[in-house]
Amino acid sequence: MVRFKSRYLLCELCVSEPSSLHLFEDKVVYQALRGAVNRAHGDYGAAIFNITLGVLVKYLNAHTGVVLIRCRKAHYRLVWSSLPFITFLENRGQKVRCFFNCIHVGGTIRTSQKFLIKYNRQQLQRMLLDCKTDAEKQDVRKAILSCSLNLIKGEETDGSDDDGDEEDT
Amino acid sequence: MPGAKERMREKKMKNQPRSVQYSSRGQGSQASGWVRGHQAEGHRYSQDLPKHITASFFAGARAAEVSVMLKAVSKPTGSCQVFTALPKHMRRRAMSHNTHRLPLRLRDAALRLAERSQRGPEKPPQAKSRSRRARRRHTHLLLEFNRRQRRSRWLETHIWHAKRFHMQNSWSYRLPHTPTAKSYRASYRAMDTHTLLQDLSYFCCLELQGPEEQILRALSQLTSKQTGPTFAASVCLSGARVGRLLLYRAGQYPHGALGPVEFLWRPRAPECTHRQLWIWIHPALKQDVLPELQAVCQCCESVCEVSASSSAAAVDELRNRKRKCTADAAELPAKRLLGDGTRAVGDPVRWESADTHITISDLTMEIVRFRLIGPLAHLVLTDTLHAANEEALRGVCVDADLHQQQRDVFTQLRGVCSTAELPAGCVLGLTVSDPRLTLPQRRGKTVPDLQHISTESSHARDLTLRGVPAHCSQSALWDTSVRDHVTDSRLSEQELNRVRSDVLVPGSAVCVSGVCAVPLLLLHQPGRVCGQERLRWGSGWDLLLPKGWAMAFWVPLVYRGVRVGGLHMSVKHAQFMAQPHFPHDYPDCPAGERCQSEQEAELLEKFKRRPPSKRTNYVKHGCVAPFRCPWQQLVDEWAELVELGGETQSRAGPVQFTVLRSVSVLRQLSAWCSSASAVTPAAAAALHQEQQGALLWVRLRLLGKGRPELHAAVCVPTTSDLQQLTDGQSSGPQEPRHPDPQPESEGSRSVVSHCSRRTLGWVQQGDFSLSSGRGEALAFISLSGLLQMMIQHQRSLVLLRNPSSLQYRYAHVYIDS
Repeated sequence: MVRFKSRYLLCELCVSEPSSLHLFEDKVVYQALRGAVNRAHGDYGAAIFNITLGVLVKYLNAHTGVVLIRCRKAHYRLVWSSLPFITFLENRGQKVRCFFNCIHVGGTIRTSQKFLIKYNRQQLQRMLLDCKTDAEKQDVRKAILSCSLNLIKGEETDGSDDDGDEEDT
Repeated sequence: MPGAKERMREKKMKNQPRSVQYSSRGQGSQASGWVRGHQAEGHRYSQDLPKHITASFFAGARAAEVSVMLKAVSKPTGSCQVFTALPKHMRRRAMSHNTHRLPLRLRDAALRLAERSQRGPEKPPQAKSRSRRARRRHTHLLLEFNRRQRRSRWLETHIWHAKRFHMQNSWSYRLPHTPTAKSYRASYRAMDTHTLLQDLSYFCCLELQGPEEQILRALSQLTSKQTGPTFAASVCLSGARVGRLLLYRAGQYPHGALGPVEFLWRPRAPECTHRQLWIWIHPALKQDVLPELQAVCQCCESVCEVSASSSAAAVDELRNRKRKCTADAAELPAKRLLGDGTRAVGDPVRWESADTHITISDLTMEIVRFRLIGPLAHLVLTDTLHAANEEALRGVCVDADLHQQQRDVFTQLRGVCSTAELPAGCVLGLTVSDPRLTLPQRRGKTVPDLQHISTESSHARDLTLRGVPAHCSQSALWDTSVRDHVTDSRLSEQELNRVRSDVLVPGSAVCVSGVCAVPLLLLHQPGRVCGQERLRWGSGWDLLLPKGWAMAFWVPLVYRGVRVGGLHMSVKHAQFMAQPHFPHDYPDCPAGERCQSEQEAELLEKFKRRPPSKRTNYVKHGCVAPFRCPWQQLVDEWAELVELGGETQSRAGPVQFTVLRSVSVLRQLSAWCSSASAVTPAAAAALHQEQQGALLWVRLRLLGKGRPELHAAVCVPTTSDLQQLTDGQSSGPQEPRHPDPQPESEGSRSVVSHCSRRTLGWVQQGDFSLSSGRGEALAFISLSGLLQMMIQHQRSLVLLRNPSSLQYRYAHVYIDS
């Protein structure tokens, strides 16, 4: 059987007022995306959302504004090109101005996750440079340290993990 | 409930992150995207945004995201560590089952994996069930029986019945219905000429104790003199006779009928106004009668005492014992549940009243009741029971003189020809020895000893003329302490068998010293008392015993050649006596209504079970009530019809239908039925006015052919029908077939005028009567209809038509009073 190939668009949602982050829900993003593609590409664009393994919002992090969108390999350029046309998100009558910033396109979720790890680490280091107060610097340093420790821990447990541990649901 | 597929998916996806968002539902992270369900260790973010968003907040969020992603990346989904630890160029196709293809360092792990997959899914360890022999040992069987009784109570003779009868669940008891052997005619013959035995322990006994006037005052509200003797009837009040009456709700006669009860007073103790009264009610009645009694006697305070130790211990055993742990059953020896063991320990059993000083106790299942029906019942009893000797009386507090007198009366009973000769309802108290000691070697049939009868005729004549003397009705069975003592001092079967095996000559009487005597009561049942034909058919004796002794008396009785009957036989017994059987034939009582609903559901289900082409087409046969009879509608329509006749003034409003039970009115009607020309229109109109909405219980006897069935229609004949009868031509007119589907008619369908002949009522019990050799039926008909018919035709002849037939048959109406 031929394999369904998809493309995962890793985007970052940038908002002017961080206080309006609570509006972000995957349905909201999906609706906004659908509207934008419809406006930009007409009926052909609208049809992309109806096929199997069509467009789907796979992951959303409201704190950091990370969105992972999946779409078919045949249509990812369509979706990508309509991302800049989304100017606001609407949820229950409240509008928030934002824009989508696509940072990575991957073929699998794992590659997107790996890229996200690298990207977040870079962002943390940049934040450290931009910090103004000492307390903030401390917090950021702590955050960076926690990431790295996890990395070490993850590598240690990789080799010694037995299969038995995995199946104790 | 997650299916296997979802569980597998969850297992694979448990390392994948879920979306993090603020939702209004109260949880920090809601599932969406890859994984559904709960995450074991959730990244719980606080619900609200911090007031001032700082860099530290973002840093924390990003760090958390990084760790989540790391976890997702490092632990790949659904693959086992052994094979992913190998780089791609060293993986081989057959490495899952051929571990030699793996490097040495991974081979052990792979072997373990292979073994585990061979083993299969782990099941929780099951207790190994014991061998059949061990499972069927006596103690374990007892525990099993105690457990099974929790849903429907078992009578003490249950196991004996269960081997020989089809059992059914009724009124929360497990009762025998029909024998597995074909024995309808044999049972009828036994009722007619020999004896039939039944276990009626499921009847509930309510005991009232208190001063006599208070009890009588309270109970007089529940009865009416018009239906017959009440609780205060002088013969019954002395305790010499068993009485039978109908209970009504307080002060609501003639409406609000509850049902028939039997009652017995304890004979008066000298210089004491404290009396004891036993009321025997059908279990279907209990939920209606008990609150009424409590209200009338003002007994609101219940006395929650710890019930007798045996039942409490049994209930505790039930609660603490698990079904499979019978291996550790060594602490308490399993005891058979006696009495009402299914009652919860805290349920109230006694109610007391402060003002009237009356105590109501619920003695359900405390007293065993056997019924012997037939003309030779007294002989069977005198064969089986032997009065106790003096030394055994010590345990039971019975006066020696009284015992001697009772013994004499009992021996005189042998000289009586038939049970029917004795006066109705006489009571004999007796103290007997254990009947198992005199069990014959093999079963026989009691036959009357004609010589004995002829010699004892003078004594027997006293007995038949005057009945049992009043003081001989006293018995120690009335005292709770004596009953409990006797129940506890019963020899178990095992011990008895041991003693029996020690006897030198097998089959001779067994003498066991120090055994207690059993007090019991014998109540005479009169049988058929109303009407003129076959009076006293179906008379017999009722045997009352303390609990625990049922099987000890049952087996010796069966060894004397009685036939045993179940619920079916009690229905037939009532039918052949032309008496209504509770609860089926009491449509105005709440228990009767419930019974009718159940019967309707049953009949409907049976009807629906057959394929549509094989069902009886009730529409074509013009049958309006194949499953349930609409009495209210019948009564209303007849009232309207009589009004249209113009002689009576219009009544106030719809009257609730009742069954006419007033003795004087029934006597009058019975006289009119026998000579229908004596009915005058004025008298009929007066009666109709007085008894509005009345139904009448009548007996119909077919003149010729025909076998009436349940819910056959009783109809008014036309003049031409009667003419044809006198000409001797036909055996009955035919009903023209009704069209199906029915033509649309405005308003509701009339019940009375639906067919070509007007409906008077419906048959409740109908069958070919073995005693009279033709079809007989018992029916309820509308009083107004009957009166109008008798005025019109001057004859008490009706037509009867089965619901599945178009043929009318002629029948004569009798009212037994």
